[in-house]
Amino acid sequence: MPARQHLLKIGVSGIRGVVGGFLTPMLASEFAQAFGTYTRGGRVVLGRDTRASGAMLEHAVTCGLLSVGCDVVKVGILPTPTIQMYVEASGARGGIALTASHNPPEYNALKLFNEGGQFFNHFERSELIDIYHEADFAHAANASIGRITEEPETPARLHVQRVLRCVDADRIRARRFRVALDGVNGAGSLLTPRFLTSALGCRLNAISIDPTQPFPRQAEPTPDALGDLSDLIRREGADIGFAQDPDGDRLAVALPDGRILDNDEVLALVVDAVLSRLPGDVVVNLTTSSVIDEVAAWHGRRVFRTPVGEANVVERMRAVNAVIGGEGANGGIIFPAVHYCRDSYTGMAFLLDRMAETGEGIEALAQRLPRFTRLGMKTPFRRGMLGPVFREFEDTFADARFDRTDGLKIILDDGWLHVRASNTEPLLRLSVESRSAEKARELLRTGTAILRK
Amino acid sequence: MAARALRISQVGLRGIVGSGVTASRVMDFSAAFAAFLETAGPVVLGRDPRASSVMMREGVCAALMASGRDVIDLGIASTPVIQHCIRRLDAAGGVSIGASHNAAEWNALKFFGPRGTYLSTGEANELLDIFHLGQFDFVEWTHLGRKTTDGSAMDSYLDSLASVYDFDTLRKAKVVVDCSNGTSSLILRRLNERFGFALILINADTDGVFAHEPSTSARAVEYQLGPLVKPLGADAGFLFDADSDRVAIATAEGKAIPEEMVLALAADHVLSQNPGKILITNLSTTLLLDEIAASHQSKVVRVPVGRSSVIDALSIHSPEDVALAGEGTGAVMFPQFRFVYDGIATMMTLLEMSAARARPFHEMLDDYAVYRMQKAEVPLQRRRIPQLFDALLEKFPGGNAITLDGIRIDFGDRWFHVRVSQTEPVVRIIAERKGESPAEMMAAVMDLARAYA
Repeated sequence: MPARQHLLKIGVSGIRGVVGGFLTPMLASEFAQAFGTYTRGGRVVLGRDTRASGAMLEHAVTCGLLSVGCDVVKVGILPTPTIQMYVEASGARGGIALTASHNPPEYNALKLFNEGGQFFNHFERSELIDIYHEADFAHAANASIGRITEEPETPARLHVQRVLRCVDADRIRARRFRVALDGVNGAGSLLTPRFLTSALGCRLNAISIDPTQPFPRQAEPTPDALGDLSDLIRREGADIGFAQDPDGDRLAVALPDGRILDNDEVLALVVDAVLSRLPGDVVVNLTTSSVIDEVAAWHGRRVFRTPVGEANVVERMRAVNAVIGGEGANGGIIFPAVHYCRDSYTGMAFLLDRMAETGEGIEALAQRLPRFTRLGMKTPFRRGMLGPVFREFEDTFADARFDRTDGLKIILDDGWLHVRASNTEPLLRLSVESRSAEKARELLRTGTAILRK
Repeated sequence: MAARALRISQVGLRGIVGSGVTASRVMDFSAAFAAFLETAGPVVLGRDPRASSVMMREGVCAALMASGRDVIDLGIASTPVIQHCIRRLDAAGGVSIGASHNAAEWNALKFFGPRGTYLSTGEANELLDIFHLGQFDFVEWTHLGRKTTDGSAMDSYLDSLASVYDFDTLRKAKVVVDCSNGTSSLILRRLNERFGFALILINADTDGVFAHEPSTSARAVEYQLGPLVKPLGADAGFLFDADSDRVAIATAEGKAIPEEMVLALAADHVLSQNPGKILITNLSTTLLLDEIAASHQSKVVRVPVGRSSVIDALSIHSPEDVALAGEGTGAVMFPQFRFVYDGIATMMTLLEMSAARARPFHEMLDDYAVYRMQKAEVPLQRRRIPQLFDALLEKFPGGNAITLDGIRIDFGDRWFHVRVSQTEPVVRIIAERKGESPAEMMAAVMDLARAYA
């Protein structure tokens, strides 16, 4: 049976789909009506990334929000983290970002934020989806229809200020770093150059920072999609290279020789930078590399692990009052002093700050991280396969420790395997890691054999 | 049975916002309109100042853009300006958001074809079929429409007025205008600025609050506008509905001119310049029109009540043969403006007439035979409408019975018309008699109507 294509998905993570026949303006508006019914009116912040469908959906969502008595504060094209912190700072009742993040350009989605500017937790999401399915929306009469206001400047200013107060900006500016940037023509196209030059005094060589143009490369900043950034950084002899995804929450980092740093290592470097300045523990998801445990151990801090998903990481960070957190594989860095959200700007600032502080280049800093080999594969999910697969893994690794909070993580003395169903696609993902490349390959072989049975 | 909150008909979508007119219905109807349009080109959009009109604008934009149509948003614009703009920009069609003379809690969508005219009966039925089918033509993300704004629509419209009317004469008119807080306010303010008119505008704020029900009834004239005409030393007063397609008049003494007389005066003036051409009106308007037409060797063509019937008639008769068309409600259309109901043009025509004859309105009214008209309605309960018509024919033998739209029976100097309303669940009855009250005839018709309706 071929895997079903997810052209439209309405579920606990909101609504996401291919614009056209699937994600229609009516669906977007109805979801917005459910959202506004949930917030009981009040001010709702609305922003978007640079996707071609963003303007159309912005109208649909504005219509839906106004129709249930919300006031709509339009912030225009902005990175998702910028929108999130503005929701919280402005005292709005909630927020919506129109972005399908790293998904291809034909997709779009509604990301929903609560009054704290954070992703809806499990309970909030299920209540919202119930309202959506009941379709009993709080239709407003003419007298209670809200107004549209526009706030294009304040959110970006707020975001930059919050990041700057957490690093030594003077120290960074003094170094006049040369930075290469690939903005994917995304939501950060205008803010990121301003942030790096005006705020941090860098000399910038940027590509793909035209928000009116389509994404010039794959939206997800994976190493194989960043060839242009590699060329740019080598050609310009820059100190470091940054790449964002279309909504500016994920960060990828390029080294001066053009290599793209592994996302887990980016997170590890930022964790090291933060822990060397501030007290507190670390929260990452189950699939994040063990390099984080080692870095935390350098500073004598604890690492807490959660199921995959930003909301899960954030929830645990709040519970343990963590100082830093994130999700390794997908390039997300969460630093509560700026906001409880994945934020590429915090990542950029801390890496530059660490380079300024130590006087070392990004390559040298990365070199000092412990070496791990991470491998992975994915296979189409077939109904009913999960139980037998997990049993087979447990039998095969009978002496291991098991963590069943999100799929199955098998923890060995010299490595680990993590197998889980994707939240967003009909796939099973297997990740393995070990200090030894040989061992990692062996774990991948064993795991793949089980999945392919 | 009271008027319902929603009416979807050949006229478009109309109802109370929240209970009848919802975001979803607005978007469905707009998407149906996009699927209905055959010619290429953008769609022109304008709205009245109601708060709910902004919500509806967002929904209309989203649905049109998702269907691949570019949208030209004129902002707050009267229906005649929208229609004028459709022709000027060679647009595929247009949408007007606003409930005209209805109270503030109502709203409506009206649709126009590529020539800027209302849809004919056949076209309106086609649009309704697409709406009910619920299958729309959404395009892929690469072909979505874009929204632009056009601030020049009003000036172009005024240029057009200036080319038809002698502004040098008309700007001397001393007139007070009640804009009903509607779109006429913007046009007339601009007319004062650009062309040196000295119109005194009242209820001219367009912040979405209505100082009075935006209707052109004699009552509105009598209580709101009339008392101001004399103290302000004006020669006449004009009162527009919210989307300025209808107009009512107060004399220099502040008396309301009967609403049927708006079309009658305009007909006398226009036919005197275009003798022999025809006048198109519906079966419910005054017999005085036939008398006026005869005096200019012209003929009255009577059609069923409703805009689309007038449009149907205009497609049968050659445009050069038609002098004007209109309703007894004060809605009049002229060939120079390609037959759209236009209250501003109607006011210009009447000012031109007053100037040409050098007489104020109350004097001109004395030139015409007095026809007494009575209007009433009976709620639909028994719904035995065919039996009612049979009973009327039996009770009133010897007249000329027209059954084009309900039943109208004509006796030369008196007539009555009984029909089921298209907009409310009532039977409407109109009776008129030359020189004397039609009360006796009216009472007999009402008795039967109460028995059968």
